[in-house]
This record gives sequence, C-alpha cells and structure tokens, in this order.
Amino acid sequence: MVLSFFRKGGSSGLDHVEEKAVTMLGDARHSFDLATTAVLSGSSSKSVADDIRSTDQRINQAEQDLRSELVVHVSVQGTADIATVLGFLLMIKKIERIGDQAKNILDLAEAGVSLADEENIDELHAERQVVSRMFADAAELLTDPEPGRFDEFVAQSKALSTDHATKIAGFLHSDRPGREVVPLAIYYRYLKRIVANLLGTVGTAVESLPHIDYLDDGATDITDD
Amino acid sequence: MPDRIPTPARSALVVGLIYLFLVGVSSLETGIKIMGADTQEQLFSAVTNPIAGLCVGVLGTVLVQSSSASTSVIVGLVASGALGVDQAVPMVMGANIGTTVTNTLVSLGHVRQSNEFRRAFAAATVHDFFNVLAVALLLPLELATGVISTIAESISEVLVGSAGTEWKSPIKQWVKEPVGWLEDIWSAVGADGNLLGTLMVLTGLVIILGALTLITKNMRKLVADRVERSINAILGKGGGAVALALGLVITIAVQSSSITTSILIPLAAAGVVSLRNIYPVTLGANVGTTITALLAALAASRPEALTVGLAHTVFNVAGILLLYVIPLARDIPVRAAEILAGVAVERRTLAVAYVVGVFIITPLIGVAVLG
Repeated sequence: MVLSFFRKGGSSGLDHVEEKAVTMLGDARHSFDLATTAVLSGSSSKSVADDIRSTDQRINQAEQDLRSELVVHVSVQGTADIATVLGFLLMIKKIERIGDQAKNILDLAEAGVSLADEENIDELHAERQVVSRMFADAAELLTDPEPGRFDEFVAQSKALSTDHATKIAGFLHSDRPGREVVPLAIYYRYLKRIVANLLGTVGTAVESLPHIDYLDDGATDITDD
Repeated sequence: MPDRIPTPARSALVVGLIYLFLVGVSSLETGIKIMGADTQEQLFSAVTNPIAGLCVGVLGTVLVQSSSASTSVIVGLVASGALGVDQAVPMVMGANIGTTVTNTLVSLGHVRQSNEFRRAFAAATVHDFFNVLAVALLLPLELATGVISTIAESISEVLVGSAGTEWKSPIKQWVKEPVGWLEDIWSAVGADGNLLGTLMVLTGLVIILGALTLITKNMRKLVADRVERSINAILGKGGGAVALALGLVITIAVQSSSITTSILIPLAAAGVVSLRNIYPVTLGANVGTTITALLAALAASRPEALTVGLAHTVFNVAGILLLYVIPLARDIPVRAAEILAGVAVERRTLAVAYVVGVFIITPLIGVAVLG
C-alpha cells in the first residue's frame, strides 16, 4: 500500500472514479437485463435473484468507495476540481439508483408478475433492448462525452420518457383489470426512472453542474425513487 | 486549472529552492556569528530554562505554522554556536507540539455540523495529545539522563565527527558564496557589527520561511496524485505500521507534517477514515517532518547542528516506541481526543479556548515566568 506512493502511472484521482463509474454502469445493466428478462419471460426469478442482489451490493459498495475517493481528491488536490467532484457525486448516486430500480423490477417478478402473456410482448422486449443499449451508450459517453452523441442521447431519452409517460397515463385510465395494468404501469414507471437516471448520469459527464437537474420551471428530476 | 509548470521544470525549481533554503540556514548561522558574544548571550538567555525553551519552541512554531521551519532555525542557531544542544532539544520538542495547531485550526472549520466536528476535532487533537504526552514523558527523562541527546550525539559523531570540532560540510562550501554576497550587500549599505548580524539573521529567516513555503507548495503539486493514490490504497484497510509508513513518506515528500495531517481532517470529518487509522499516519508525519532539520544541518559547520536534527528524530521515534508500540499506552491519546471532542461538541467555545490556551497562552506564560 505504501509502495503505491512510489508506483508510476496507473489511473488515479478523477480518472479512476470515471473508470469505476463505467464499471458500476455495467453492473447496473447486468441487473437490469436479468430483472427485465425475469418479468418479461415469466421464468422463475429465483435463479437471478441472488445475482441481482449481490450485483446491487457491489454497486452500493462501489458508490461508497467512490464517495470516499472523491473526498480524498478534494482534501489532497484542493477545490480546483470541485464542480467535477460534485458532478461525480451526483452521477454515482444516479447509477446506484438504477441498481435499486433494477432490483425493484426483480421485486415485481418475485411478487409473481409476468408480462409474458401480454399481447405486445414483442414490443416490450424491443423497448427493453433499447433501454439496455442505452447503458452501453451512456458508458461510452462517460469516457468520451462527445456533444453530438450527447444530443442524440438526450433526444432519445426524452422521446422514451414521453412514450413511457403516455403509456402510464393510458394504464391509469384503462378498462382492463387492475391486476393486468397495475404491474404494467409500475414496470413502465421503473423504465422511465431508469432512463431519466441514465440521462442524468451522462449529463454530469458532459456538464458537471448542469441545468438538467434543475429545470427552468423550478421542478427537478432528482426525486427519482 | 491546468498545471502551467511542467513536472521536470517544477522538480528543478524544488532543487533550486532547497539550495536557497540551505543558503538561508547558512545566512542565519553567519549572522549570529557576526554578533558579539554578549549579544548572543542576551538573546538566548531566556531559553536556558528547558521549560521556557519548550514554550519558545511551541510559540515559534505556532507563529510560522511549520515545525520544519522552526526546527531549521533552531538548527541554524546551534550551528552558529549561540545555542547549545541542551537548550535546543526542549525547543524542538516544543516545535512538535506547536506544529499540531494547524490541523486543529482546520478542524474548527467543521464546527457547524456536530458529528463532523466531533470526528474532525478528535482527529486533530489525537496528534496534540500524543505530542504533549511524548514531551511529558521524554523531556524529564532527557533532563535527568540526557538519553535523547546522547543517542543523537553518538549517531552524529559517527556521521560527521565529535562536538566542538569543525565539520567540513560539502554543502556548506556550496552555499558559502551566495552567503558571502548577502554579507557584501549589507556591508555595502553601511551595516556592520550587530546591525550586519541582525540583517543577515533576518535575511536568513526570510529565505528559510519563503523557500520552505515554496518547497512545500511545489512538492505538494508534484506528488499530489501519488498522495491521493496511496491514501485511497490505505482507506479502510486499517492503520498500524503501514499507515505510519505512509505518513512518513508523504511528509518527507511534501516537507510538511501540517500538510499531511491537515489532509486527514476533512477525511475524518466525512467519516472516510477512522480516528484509529489516522493516529498512526500522524505519528509517521511526526518522524517525516524531522528530515527538514536534518537537511538544514547539512549546511552547518558544527556537528552539534546535526545532533539537534537527529535529537528531533530520536525524540519522535522514542515517542512512538513508548506510546504506540506499547498496547496499553496506545489508546491513551485516542481516548483523550475522543473525550475532548465530545466536550468540544457540547460547548464549542471551549474548542477555541483550547486552541488559544494550549498553543498561545500557556507557552506565553511559560516564557514570561521561566524565561
């Protein structure tokens, strides 16, 4: 450990935080894929529950470790990077929330919810694929926050969010039985929050202290539970 | 903001600053030598009492916020012959106490939030308690037996020769010329005798403090990434010898124990590092900071200067052996710091009173009464 002082090279400081944030995002995608597969296929959730929970613990631990590293960074390097540090704190919190929301989808499966028999199951699978791919896009944007791609990501997130909101509103006023539409409404609600958190995650990489979280009308999107 | 000075240039700058620092020490030594024996006697008679010397060490270090600076000045004074080893050893012990004021002041920045403040204040004062306890144990022992100075003298004798002889330090030869220029400059403006000596001393002090400040600032920039990486490596992995070694290495690198210990305070406040893990890092910092006085001794012409530098190191190592290696004693500073932090959280004005009382009023009384 003391030898790490003399070792040359290796990632340190904010680069290391960024690398670990990408790993966290990979873990969150893993949990999301497993949880949504369980709900959409109706297969037993038991086989994936342990994996999702241990992945969530790993994400939570990574968040704690990174918060410590960010405090160390400010203590050692001073406040020159304070905007980036605050942005990273927000980012890793959002990734941690995505892990929780994947776990919430697992809770649906464990409660016996299966959407396998839905008429539009192919559409549900396609939507799931789109969101899953957004994790990879987000990870790429964290390491290379290219403005053009970020704009595309924002547009895609907003379109999905609007679509999810419309669907949720539709379920709230649906004539179908509650036992059918309530799980769908909850499922889409989680998808919507995951997409919003992915957008927030990427947003902090592009602009450390952005206006994304603090909208012009004074509303915020950080009440993401 | 990007670092505008490239690393090789900054490294070269640090080497230049170290040279300047040594010029400062030599200038101080020369200035004191220029003054007459009577003036020297008048100047340093106040510290013939060891407790008064200890208090002067505390006050001087609080004033410059750096034990590296104050011990380097003490080494310069010993090098000039104005101050004896017996007088200097209590002063370097006082410097050890005085240097802890910086992180205690940093901890006061967390005063608004009780839990943060409790952790920060305990992390800062554990260093105070250790140093005060070390002095309480080792100063009487030193006064009674001279054990610390004897050990330091033995090492010094092996390295540079016996006390009372002239040591032909190669570094002294390297800095001789610029010191001569300074003397010529002051002589050219008409200064001589005690005035010339005083001006040389003041020039030396300014150079020492300025060079040390810049060395610390630049070294901090040079090694910041390494410091960050090694602190991250040690986080949550316990304390002990590894943490002690880390404190030693970081402090030698940045040439300031105050920097090392002050970095730890926000970490303690945030709960990132526990008090028990911070404690050994501060002890390593105590030993690491003695390197500057040893460096200063290289520019001195008397072996006694090195003896004092080594006495500082021996004192800190002995403190660790007595108060950290022995398990029964290890918890005393930690528990004391926790209790004091608990009291300070309840009555925050007491925290300020503690700082003023320990670091200013008590040493002032000590100097006034015993000096």
